[in-house]
Amino acid sequence: MRLIVVKRVKTSNLYYVGIPVLSILAGLALSTLIFASIGVPPDLFISEILAGFQSPQTLRYFALLVILGVALTMSFRASIWNIGAEGQMIWGMLAGGYIALFVAAQSMYVSPSDLPNYANVPGVEIIDASPVKPVISVLLMDPSLGKLLMVLFGMLAGGLWALIPAVLKAYLDIDEVASTLILNYVAYQLFNHLVSYNLRGLSVQARQFFRTDRMNSALLFNLIPGTSVTVQEVLMAVIFFVSVVLMYRYTAVGLRLKIIGSNPQLLRSVGVDERRYILLAMFLSGMLAGAAGVSILANPGIGKLEKIANVVSPPTMNLGYTAILVSWLSILDLRFVPIYAYIVASLFQGSSLLQSEINSLFPELSLTGAALTYIPIGSILVVYVILRIFTEYSVRIMR
Amino acid sequence: MSTQTFFSLNGEKSLNPIISARGLWKSFPGVVALKDVSLDVLPGEIHAILGENGAGKSTLLKILYGIYVPDKGDLFFGGRKVVVTSPQDAVRNGLVLVSQVPQLIDSLTVAENLSLSLSQFGYVSSVRKVSKFLLEKGREYGVRVDPDIEVWKLSYTQKQLVEVLRALLLNAKVIAFDEATTLLPHAEKEKLYDFMKLFKSKGGSVLLVTHKIPEAMEVSDRITVLRRGEVVGTVRTSETTLDQVRYMMFGERLTQLNSGKYEKLGEKGSEVLVVRDLWVRSDYGVYAVKGVSFSVRKGEILGIAGVAGNGQLELIQALAGLRKSERGSIRLRINGNEIDVTNKGSTAIRRLGIGYIPDEPVKKGVSLDNSIEENIAVHPRLTRFLIRWGDVKSLATDLVREFSIVTPSTNAKAKVLSGGNLMKVLVARELTVSKVALVAYNPTRGLDEVSTRYVRRLIVSKAVSEGMCVVVASEDLDEIMEISDVIAVMNSGSFVGVFKSGVSREEVERVMVS
Repeated sequence: MRLIVVKRVKTSNLYYVGIPVLSILAGLALSTLIFASIGVPPDLFISEILAGFQSPQTLRYFALLVILGVALTMSFRASIWNIGAEGQMIWGMLAGGYIALFVAAQSMYVSPSDLPNYANVPGVEIIDASPVKPVISVLLMDPSLGKLLMVLFGMLAGGLWALIPAVLKAYLDIDEVASTLILNYVAYQLFNHLVSYNLRGLSVQARQFFRTDRMNSALLFNLIPGTSVTVQEVLMAVIFFVSVVLMYRYTAVGLRLKIIGSNPQLLRSVGVDERRYILLAMFLSGMLAGAAGVSILANPGIGKLEKIANVVSPPTMNLGYTAILVSWLSILDLRFVPIYAYIVASLFQGSSLLQSEINSLFPELSLTGAALTYIPIGSILVVYVILRIFTEYSVRIMR
Repeated sequence: MSTQTFFSLNGEKSLNPIISARGLWKSFPGVVALKDVSLDVLPGEIHAILGENGAGKSTLLKILYGIYVPDKGDLFFGGRKVVVTSPQDAVRNGLVLVSQVPQLIDSLTVAENLSLSLSQFGYVSSVRKVSKFLLEKGREYGVRVDPDIEVWKLSYTQKQLVEVLRALLLNAKVIAFDEATTLLPHAEKEKLYDFMKLFKSKGGSVLLVTHKIPEAMEVSDRITVLRRGEVVGTVRTSETTLDQVRYMMFGERLTQLNSGKYEKLGEKGSEVLVVRDLWVRSDYGVYAVKGVSFSVRKGEILGIAGVAGNGQLELIQALAGLRKSERGSIRLRINGNEIDVTNKGSTAIRRLGIGYIPDEPVKKGVSLDNSIEENIAVHPRLTRFLIRWGDVKSLATDLVREFSIVTPSTNAKAKVLSGGNLMKVLVARELTVSKVALVAYNPTRGLDEVSTRYVRRLIVSKAVSEGMCVVVASEDLDEIMEISDVIAVMNSGSFVGVFKSGVSREEVERVMVS
C-alpha cells in the first residue's frame, strides 16, 4: 500500500469555498495558541475578534479592502503580481494631498491682529491660531470639485506609479513581484522627503514636526454618523466594484485582461499587443489603490500627511498588503471580494481592539507595534497557502 | 483480457512482455480518454502506437511514464506489477521518454545537461564520466554529439539525439518516442529510424507514438491502433497493409479522406495583396527576408515552400503585422481602395479582415483556461468595445456545428478539447475573420490525416467561394504542392523560384536546397 499525491485534473469545486473557510478557522485557532503562549487568555482573544465583526469601525476597513481587493484581483488575474498597492496608495495620498493643500485650498499667514476678521468668512478656516504667526486656509474652488480633483489626481498618481513596474515587466521582462515590493519602500522614502520639504505646512505643528498643514475641513470626506467610514469611501467601493465586474463581463478589454493571465500569446496571435494590457492591468490596479490612498487621507480622522517615523506603521496601515489576503481568499474571483473583505476587515479591527485591550489589561507584556495585529492575518494566510495545495493535488491510496 | 499469443521476432520462442498494461481507464472532465486499454511491449521490438488527435495516445504514454495515474487498471514492468507515479519510477523500471520538445537547458553543455538529468533520476555521475560514456555510446550507436558543446548551438535534430543518448545513459530497456519525429525533416528522420533499428538489434524495445501511418509502417514491427480511447487492435506490420491500418485508425470517417481533388477556380480575380521589396529582420537582428516582392490575387493561394529557417516565418509574421518591416511595402486592395498596411500594427491589420494561423497554433492561437466562446470573442474583428455574448454564443454554436468540433458545450474550457478540436476552434475563428486574406504558417502541423485534410479543404474552399487570398508557408512540401495555385520557394530570405501549380515535386525540391 502506498500513499500517492496526484495532481488534480480539475480543481475541486468544494475547495473553492471549503479552503478559504477552513483557512480562516484554522488560522484563528493557530493565533489563539500563539496568543495563549504569550499569556493572553483565549477567551479574551476570541471575544475581541468576535467584537471586530460587529464594530462600526470595521466598515471603514471593509470599504478600503473592497477597493484594494478589486484593485489587486484585477492585476492578479492578469498574472501580474502587484505587491505594490502600498506605494500606489502613498502616491494617491501625495497627489490628493497636493490638490487639497495647494490647488483646491491654500494655507497662508495672516497678521495676528487680522485673525478675528477671518473667523466667519465663508471658505476660510483658521488652521493655526498661534498668537505669533497664525495660519488660515483659503478655499480656492467649490469643495465638491476639490474633492473630485483629489480623487482623480490620486488615482492618476497611483496609476502612474504602478506603470513603472508595468513598463519594466512588459518591455524588459523584469519580475514585478520584486519591483513592486521594492517600489513601496521607495514610495515611503519619497513620501517622507516630499512631506518634510515640498509639502511641509506653515503652521507651528507643521514646522515643529515634519508634516503638512491640516486640510481645509471643507475638503474632508463626510463621515457616516456613528462610524469612521466616509460616504465617499463607500460610494467609491460600490462604483469600482460594480464597474470592474461589468468590465470583465461585457467588454473586450475585460476579456483580454482575463486572457492575458492564461495565455498572453493568444492576444499576440489575434493581433492585440499584450504588452499594452500588462500596462493597463497595472494602471487600473494602481488607480484604485490611489483612490484608496486619497480616502484614507481625506478621512476626518486624518486630514494631513505626516512623515513616516517607522516603515512598519505607514499611513496606509499596511492595507495594501492585507488586501493580498482578501484577493487570495477570494481565489481571484471578484464576486467573493466583498465577502472576504468584510471578514478580513473584521479580523483587522478585532486585532486592533485586542491590542488595546492587551495593552491596558496586561501592561507587563509590553506588546507594542503593529505586529500583534498581524498575527491572526498572517496565520490565516499561512494556513491558506498550505491548504491551497489540496485544490491542486489529491492524496490517494494505491494498493 | 487479451487472448493474444506472444511471438518472437528474432527466434520462434515466445517472449514475456517487457511492459504490459492491463485494462487502463482514465477520464478527464467531460471526456473518457482511455477505455479499458491493454498493451504489451515485447523485448526487441519497435511497437508503434497509432491514432488520430485525441485518440488517447498521449494519455496512454503519460500513464506509462508516471505523469498521470490511471483511474483503473494495472501496469506490469518485466512481469512485475508496479505503481508508477512519477517519471523517476518509470525510468527505474527501464522506460525512458524522448519527447517532441527536448528537455534541455540551453546554456549548459550536453554533458552537463545529461549529468543533471541523471541526478534528477537518482544517479550520480560526474560530467567527465558522462562525457566519456557519451563518446562510447555515441560510437556504439553511431550518434555523434560533442559532449562539450553548449546546447543552444545544436540543431533541433541534434537535441533529439541528445535526448536519445540520455535514454541510453539511463540504461533504458524501452525508449518511448512521443511524436518525436513529427518536427524533423525527412533525411533526419532516417537517422532516428536507423538508431531505433540498431537499438532493437541490441535487445532494446522502442515505443513509437505517432499519428503518421507511413512512419509506423516504415519502421515498426507491430502497430497498436487507438481510436476514441479504445484499442482497435494490434497487428504485425509485416502482415498488414496501409489501407487496413487506415481503416482501423479512422473507421467510417475514412471516406472523408478519399473525396478527391479540391475544387479550384480557373480564373483568378484582381490583385489583393501586393508586397514590394520587403525586408524583415529576424529575432537576432539580421535580415531574414531580403527584398521579397509578390502579389496574390483574389481567390489565389500562394504557397511558400522552403527548408525551415529561410525567412518564411518572418515573412508571414510581417504580413500579419507581428514583425516590423524595415524596408518595402505591404499593400491591400479592398473594394478598389488601396490601403498601405506596412507597419500599421497588428490590430488594425486584423480588423481589415486578415486571418492568421500562427506556428505552434495550439500553444499560441488558443487559450486553454478560457471557454470556446471567450477564445472566439477575443478577436478584435469580432468584438469591439462591448461584447455581445448572445452573438458570440450563436457564432460559436454555428462554428461548432459547421466544423464538427467535439465539445460538451460552447462554454466549456478549451482545455477539455483534444488537440485536433482545439485546432478546429482556431481555424474556425480565423476563417470567420478572413474576409480579405489568410496568412498561415504550418497550418496543419501536428494534426492527424483527417483533420489535416479537413483544414486544407476549408482553406481552399473559402478561397474559392469567397475570393479570399491566401499566403501559406509550410515546412511540409506536400501541403504546399497540394493546395497552392502558385508555389514560391524561399531560400536564404529570397524567393529563388516561383512555379505554377502542376510543377513536379523534384523541380521544387531542387530549388529548395540549392
